[in-house]
This record gives sequence, structure tokens and C-alpha cells, in this order.
Amino acid sequence: MFEADLNPREFRVDLPMWLAILGLILVGTAFIYSATSIHETDTLWQRFQNMPVGAFLAWLVPQAYSKQLIAFGIGLCAAFAVCLIDYHRLARWSLVVYWVSILLLAAVLVNGIGTRRFGAQRWIDIGFFSFQPSEFAKLAFLLLIANYLSRPVEELSQPRVFVKLIAFMALPFLLILKEPDLGSALALIPIGLVMIYIAGTPAKYLKRMLGGGAILVALLVLDVIVIPPKWRFIPLKEYQRERILVYFGASFVEPDATPPERSRALERQRAKTYNIEQALISVGSGGLAGKGWRQGTQNSLGYLPRGVAHNDFIFSVIAEEKGFSGSALVIALYAVILFTGLRIANQARDRLGKMLATGIVALFFSHIFINIGMNIRLMPVTGIPLPLLSYGGTSVLCTLIAAGILQNVYIYRKSF
Amino acid sequence: MFVFEQLKNTDKRLQALAVAIVVGLVLLLGRLWQLQVISAKKYRDFLENQTFRTVRVPAIRGKILDRNRVPLADNKPAYNLNLYLEELQPRFYFEYTNSVKKEFTNRHPNVKLTKPMIVDLERKARYSAVSNLLFQVSDSLNSPKLLLEKAFHKHYDQMRSLPLTLLGNLSFQEVAQLLEYGTLDASLDVEVEPRRIYPYSNITSHLVGYVQREQEPEKEAQTGSEEDQMNYRFWVPGYKGLKGIELAFDSELRGKPGVKTVLVNSNQYRQSEELLEPPEPGKNAVLTVDLEIQKTADRVLRQHGNGTRGAVIVMQCQTGDILALASSPTFDPNQFIEGVTTEQWIQMNDQELLPLFNRAVYGGYMPGSVYKIIVGLACLENGLNPEENYYSRGEFFINARSRTWADTAGVGNFDFRSAFAFSSNPYFQHNGLRTGPRKIIQMSRQLGLGGPTGVTRGQESGGYLPNDLELEKSSGNQWMDGDTANLCIGQGEIIVTPLQMAVVTAAVANGGKVLQPRLVIQVESQEQNNPAGQIKFPAAQVRHRLSVKPGNLELLQQAMLADVEYFDPKRGHSGKWGTGRSAFINKEFRISGKTGTAQKYVKNVKHLITWFVSFAPFENPRYAVVVVIEGGDAGGSTCAPMARQVYQTIMETERKSSG
Repeated sequence: MFEADLNPREFRVDLPMWLAILGLILVGTAFIYSATSIHETDTLWQRFQNMPVGAFLAWLVPQAYSKQLIAFGIGLCAAFAVCLIDYHRLARWSLVVYWVSILLLAAVLVNGIGTRRFGAQRWIDIGFFSFQPSEFAKLAFLLLIANYLSRPVEELSQPRVFVKLIAFMALPFLLILKEPDLGSALALIPIGLVMIYIAGTPAKYLKRMLGGGAILVALLVLDVIVIPPKWRFIPLKEYQRERILVYFGASFVEPDATPPERSRALERQRAKTYNIEQALISVGSGGLAGKGWRQGTQNSLGYLPRGVAHNDFIFSVIAEEKGFSGSALVIALYAVILFTGLRIANQARDRLGKMLATGIVALFFSHIFINIGMNIRLMPVTGIPLPLLSYGGTSVLCTLIAAGILQNVYIYRKSF
Repeated sequence: MFVFEQLKNTDKRLQALAVAIVVGLVLLLGRLWQLQVISAKKYRDFLENQTFRTVRVPAIRGKILDRNRVPLADNKPAYNLNLYLEELQPRFYFEYTNSVKKEFTNRHPNVKLTKPMIVDLERKARYSAVSNLLFQVSDSLNSPKLLLEKAFHKHYDQMRSLPLTLLGNLSFQEVAQLLEYGTLDASLDVEVEPRRIYPYSNITSHLVGYVQREQEPEKEAQTGSEEDQMNYRFWVPGYKGLKGIELAFDSELRGKPGVKTVLVNSNQYRQSEELLEPPEPGKNAVLTVDLEIQKTADRVLRQHGNGTRGAVIVMQCQTGDILALASSPTFDPNQFIEGVTTEQWIQMNDQELLPLFNRAVYGGYMPGSVYKIIVGLACLENGLNPEENYYSRGEFFINARSRTWADTAGVGNFDFRSAFAFSSNPYFQHNGLRTGPRKIIQMSRQLGLGGPTGVTRGQESGGYLPNDLELEKSSGNQWMDGDTANLCIGQGEIIVTPLQMAVVTAAVANGGKVLQPRLVIQVESQEQNNPAGQIKFPAAQVRHRLSVKPGNLELLQQAMLADVEYFDPKRGHSGKWGTGRSAFINKEFRISGKTGTAQKYVKNVKHLITWFVSFAPFENPRYAVVVVIEGGDAGGSTCAPMARQVYQTIMETERKSSG
């Protein structure tokens, strides 16, 4: 390593990370194919032989796995483009990027621009792709906070600076919460916290923030589970409240429920716990070795709902079909990326580079942990995608841009 | 490795982050290990429970064949029109959207559908889709049918993954019509189901018995056999034997049901299925019965008149094989398969005729003069000189109870042979009293009376014989000489079954072997020439060998021959024939027998039980024929001619098989 550092013509692509990313891209595409092509009787090759090329392409392109591959392609190009500009110059644009993303987040809430799906207004439909501003907002948020925190440590101990920081963080948080997308909003918190911590903010601020956060979480749980309906003070949507109830295995039935209300509540509880129970059955029944690619029954028989199998619950499909060995491999690939990120953070030439790298590591890690955790009932159910594996163009694009930024920090670590 | 590099980082806060990430990833891996390795079996069981439905597949029931392998109970293919609900999903959806359009979108555009409304609409849509289909198909067969709404919903809710039988038991013509006009769409299929049929319905009904659809055993009532322990999700019934051979050999005939698993999707519709364990077909039972003789036995009973109550048994004297076992009145066992109507059920349970009652094995009757075979043998064994004459005054007195018995044999001198041939009551009462009731009962017991004969696994009655205690009673209902005198002519304290008397007659004919009657030669695989699983039941099983002098049995055989062939010119106005004369055929096939007419008073009304027991041919006895009729005129005039007809059929059968 140290010899290499002296070599100016060094190969500056971080190979292990990109190999891990490539591996995950392949795994992701393969299992999106598995999850969405249940009713296909012909293989792709058979289709190709039996159809005219034009018709074949017209059929192929709208398939989920094709769209995902296209998103990967675009994402890789974007990552390459990001690498061309020194991250310092990128960081100068952070405020602009931040406000653009805030604008988009606001726009998505406007009827007519934002598209409603499953009771939440999270998407902006632009024809071929529909695009999820909250995903971009995470990146923009990260960029801005990294830039903001890159100032000298001494300044961070000034309360004014700290309050401004909290305000920058709160704005996207509240807008995303409004969509509503509690999961994505909450995912901003660990990213912010990690960056503040690594930036060297005095311990007393951190303690206060953590203490405040802990009190907030405790209040939330209390509000949802213990306190009777009349006295509740946190305005949660019913489905959000229910997700928390599901996570804690608490009953949906209100203490003063009439028998019909009670039976309705139990019915809802069955419906709400259904997904997570089916995900557990998928993962558990996979065993050590799994049932084999496209051999899982949970997905093909529709027990794992078709709407979520290829995005939020793609990990269940992988775990069922490839077993513990497959799950462990996926986690190993993520570990490669995460620790490469940490190394890059360590090697970064300045605080900005370090902040960017740790922010991206925190972004990846929180998504991975929340999503996989939700598949195995370690975390409550949220709409957080699994980076590079879940179906979803915006997520893929943002993940690859983030990886591009990591690579950028790595490339320019020695340019003074 | 770079992981450890980061854990030894000089930046303490980055190091802490690295540690946190390692802890997080290890947490995920640990939880995955717990789910996928430690609890994998639990989740696999959950998975199986929600995706697999085990279905019981009843085995095809074995046939019941006569000794020439003519099927007496068979399986005929029944054609059913089955509907596979999973194929109908698009139609359900179509019906549903139509009804939503019709009911709401057009009429009440502002009403928002609630969940219960949707559920209800879907339910109605499914019913209307299926009932339209049924109407369409049944209409093409010119017999439009309606779908029962309740039954359909029950099937849909509970057995969605199994096909629904829309039309059952279709005729060949209907099947051809359905296939020809192409009215069958992908959701419909004509499938074959084995249906029990009794080709000789009434002729063999008591012998073969009948079956019923099995009932799912109660979970608690399970006896623990391998079959019971299988926890089927869908318990598809086969047939269960209820009477006759169907009951006695039920376990052999039934075979072993197989297991099918149906893979269902999250909507409980069938995805695919697999035969996990094929059913083991039941075995055929080959009977000793000869259908031709059985037909005659049934016919003679039928010819005697409507509502004849009686039985005919034909048995081989040397082997104990039963060639015919008929009881009258009969019933049609096929009605139990088609479903018994109320009218039929009332008919079957007529309290006087008891058509379901097998008189040949369950009928308990007083033997009347037929019992003189046993009384005679007991007397001869105990020193009666057959040449010795006894003068009968035509009636018999006992002082003790001032009882008298009338007699049809007339006044005069009787030796053993003539007393037997003319059935003189005083002769047998006089000599029976000399021998004593104990000896007579002992002889009866030796010949197997008072207990089951061992045929058809306990489906018989054992009759009644007074036991020693009753003979010794010194007070109360004390045994008197009058009782003995009554017993000597087969009346009073004695009940026998026709089958028991067949065994007795055969024992006299075959030289003293009390045989176990045999009804089943063997059970065997339904595949021809497959020796696997064959069980033979040996013939000529001797239950007891009589300890009597052979000369006495010969005397008895002679006396029975005399009952049919003896003519005494000195009696009556112009001579007198033995009482069984009307059984006579010719001198080549000589029949020996004994008539009997027992009298029973029920509420001061006299009931006659008429008997004729016989064996033939005299020189080389091969067959025993027993005929009993309730309410006949007399054994000689009612039963002996019936026996003759049976023997004629036997002779014909013999001729055919030798030629």
C-alpha cells in the first residue's frame, strides 16, 4: 500500500468495491428475473428464437429485470461522470443540489405532479421511469451535510452552527414524512448522526441528540402501544401505527373496542402481519442451501405478495432460493463495499472527503440493515429498498452515484 | 484483511463506526443463521402446511366372484363432469367487474365500495359464473340443472383446490354428446369414478351384502391404525362394507387408500398435484357359491309366492363349501349405492317381512321333526334296537303334565325306519324319554347346534340349546318329561338356524364329520395371475368328528332315504309314501331327507315353520340341501318340492362340468 502511494501512475479504480457492486448487480437482476417471471414457460432464449427481433425487444425492454439493467447502465455512466470532477468542485454545488431536491420533495406533494401509489404520494412519473425524489433527497442531504461539517472542528462547537445543521436536516425529513414515507425519513437520522459523530462534534451535543432521539423513540412506542386513543399526541397514520404494532407483536385491538371493532382489528392484524410472516417463512424454509434459483414456492405461489417480492422483499426471495449460503454471500458483498468505504474515509485527504465517505457508508449500511432486518423481523416494515438488489431505478441510480462519489474521494485523495 | 484494518483505525470515531458496522452485520448473520439453519424445519413445516393439501385417494374395491369367477359385486365406471375452479378465475373476475359496472358504476356512481360489499359481490359473481356454466352444459344435454348455492359456496370455501362434480353418473350417450359438441371448456373434465354394482342384485343380496360411502372418522375415535393416523386435509370417501361378504371381508376388499398432495397457491387454488403414494387396490374375494345354483335357490323361494319368508342353503357334504345361500324376501343392494328413497327404506324395514334379515344364517327356528335325525342318532347310540317295534296309538300322553301330542303318522307298529319315514311322533317321544334329554342335548352339541358354525366371520346366530343347569333345575321352571317329549319332536326349548341344519345333515351324510362351512375360497390380487397377497381358505375343515358307531350313521342314512322313497302298502287306505316323497327325482340321483313342520303359537295364532333337510346322491353323498319356509303348509308338501328343483339344477351343473 505504501509503495503504491508513491506511484503517481497507480491504478486508481477501487477494484474490490466495483467487483462487489458488479456481483450485487448480477445477483439483483437474476433474482428480479426470478421474482417476476413466474408465469414464463419459455426461457428467454426460446423467446428470442421464436419471435422477430423487433417484437422480442419490444417485449423484453418493459420487463422489470430489463428496466433494472438499464438503470444499472445509466447509474454506472453517472458514477463515471461523477468521478470526472473533483469532489471539492462537486461539494460547491451542494447547496444548489439540496434546494433542488427540496423543491422536488415539495413538488411531489402537489397533486398532478406526484403520483399516488399504495396510499402514498412518493413518485413523479416521467414516462419511461417514475422517479422517487426522496431517494435523491438522501444524496443531496448527504452532500450538503458533508460540506457543512467539513468546516474546522472548533466551529462545530458553536451552538449557532449546530442549530443551523439541525434545521438543514429537519427540512427534508419533514417533507418526506409528509408523503408519507416514514421509513425514508427515519433513514436520514442515522446518516446525519454518523456524520456529525465522525466530524468530531463535541460529545455533549452528541449526548443531547442521542438522549433526545431516545426520548422521541420511547414516546413514539408509548404513544402507539400503551396510551389509549384519546390521549395520543403523535399524529401517526393508521398504517404507520400498525407497522409499529406488528413489529412489537402487539395486538391491534383497542382496549375499549366493541366486539365488531375487535374482530375488524384482528382481521387487519392478520392482514398486516401477513407479509412479514410470509417473508419469514420464505427465509426460514430456504434452509442452509436454498431451493435453487426460480425454485422458491413462496413467491411463485403468491404467498409473498407479487407487489413487493421484487422490491422491498427481494431479500426473502434470495434467501429462500439460495438459503443461508446465499444470504451470507450477499452480506459479504455488502461488507466489502462498506469496509472499502471506511478505508476511503480514512485515507481521504481532507475532512470533506472523510465526511462524504462516512456519509455514504452510513447511507448504505442503514439501508442494508433496515431492509434485511425487516425481512427477518429484526426491524419494522418500511419501504426502504435494499441497495442494488431491490427493483427500483431511482434507488439504483442514487446508489451508483453514491459509489461514484466514494470512488471520487479515493481518486482525488492525493491531489493537493 | 481490510475489515481488521478498519477495526484498528487510528481515528477513534471511525474505528467505533467500523465496530458498529461489524456488530450490525454479525447481528444480521446471526438472525439469518437462527432462521435458516436452526429453525429451518419449523418454517418448512409452515410452508408445507400452507401450500400442500393431502388428499386421500380411496383404493378401487375388490370384486366378489362366484366359484366360476362370475362377478357378483363389481365396479363399473361412473362418468362425472368435474369443474376445476382454478381455471375459472378469469371468468369469476369478468362476472365481478360486470356486476360492479351494472350495480354501482352505472346506477350509483357515487357509492364507494366497501370491503364487505366487494367480498359479497365476488361471492355472487363466482356463483353466477359456475351456475351459468352448469346451465349451459346441462342444457346441451337437454336436462337443464340448477346449481345448489349453499353446496357450491361450501365447496368453494372448504375444498377450492379439489374439482367440483357438476354432473354425476353420466350415461355413455351424455358423455359422447359432451365431447362431441365441444361444450367442454378448459375448466371442465369428464372423469371416471368406480361405482359399486351388483349385477345379480336381489339374487345374491343377502350373501354378498352391500356397501355404503365411508364416513370420515372422528379425530378422537381413531383406533391408531396406520391409515387412521394419516392426517388428511381432504378425506375422500370410498366404500365400506355393511353386510354379508362386503362386511366380513371389508378390510381385504377395501385395499389401502393412497395419498395425493395438491399444491395450492395463496388464493387456495390448485397449482399442481402429485400422487405421493398410489392406492393399493383391494383384493377380489372368490366365493364357493355357484351362481347357477344360487339362482335356482332364489327362484324356488320366489316361486313360492310374494313375500315368502324362508331360506335355502346348498352345501357340499364332503367339503363344507356353500354353493347357494338364499334368503327371502330380498332387497336390491344397488339401491344403497344410488341412494335409498324413503319408500324403499320403508319397504326394506317391513316389520313382518324383514327383507334385510338374512334368514339362512340369522333365522332362528324350531326344527320340528327335522330334529328326529339327532334324537334318533342319540337313541341308537344309547341302545335303541332299530328293529324293535313300537305300537303308536296316534298320540302321546305324559301323566305328569297331562300333555298330549297329536300325530300325522297314524296308528300302528313302527320300527326305526318307518317311524322316521312317516315321522311318528310317539315313537321318537317314547324312545327319546328312554334315552333322556341329556344324551339328546349332548348329541346336538356334538353336531354343532347351540353355537356358531364359523361361517363369514361371525355374521350368524348360534341358535339355542338348553344347558345342563336347565335340565337339573329342581324348582321353579323345572325340566319335566313333558319338556323332553316336546324336545324329541324338535319343539319347545330349541332353536336352530338353517345353516346349522345344513351342517348336521352333511355330517350324517359324510360319515360323521362336523364341517366348518366355507363361503370364501380365497382372496387374491385384482390383477390376473398375480399370486401376491393371495390367501386361501382351506376346504373340508372338520370342527368335530362324531364319536358314534358307523353302523348307526348308516341306519340313519337309510332312514332318510326311506323318507323319500319308502312306500308301505299296508298303511292308510291305499298305502303310504314317506313324508319327503315329493323330493324324489329318479333312482340314479337318490335323495335322502327329512321333513319337519314345527308349530309355534304366538298370541294363540298357530305359525308353522316347515323344513326339508336332505342330502344326495344317497350312494355317494355330495350335496346337502336345506329348505325352510315360514308359514308353509307342511315340510313334505312345501319344502321337499323346492329341494327337488334345486337338485335338478345341481344335476345339470354337474352334467355341464363333466361334459
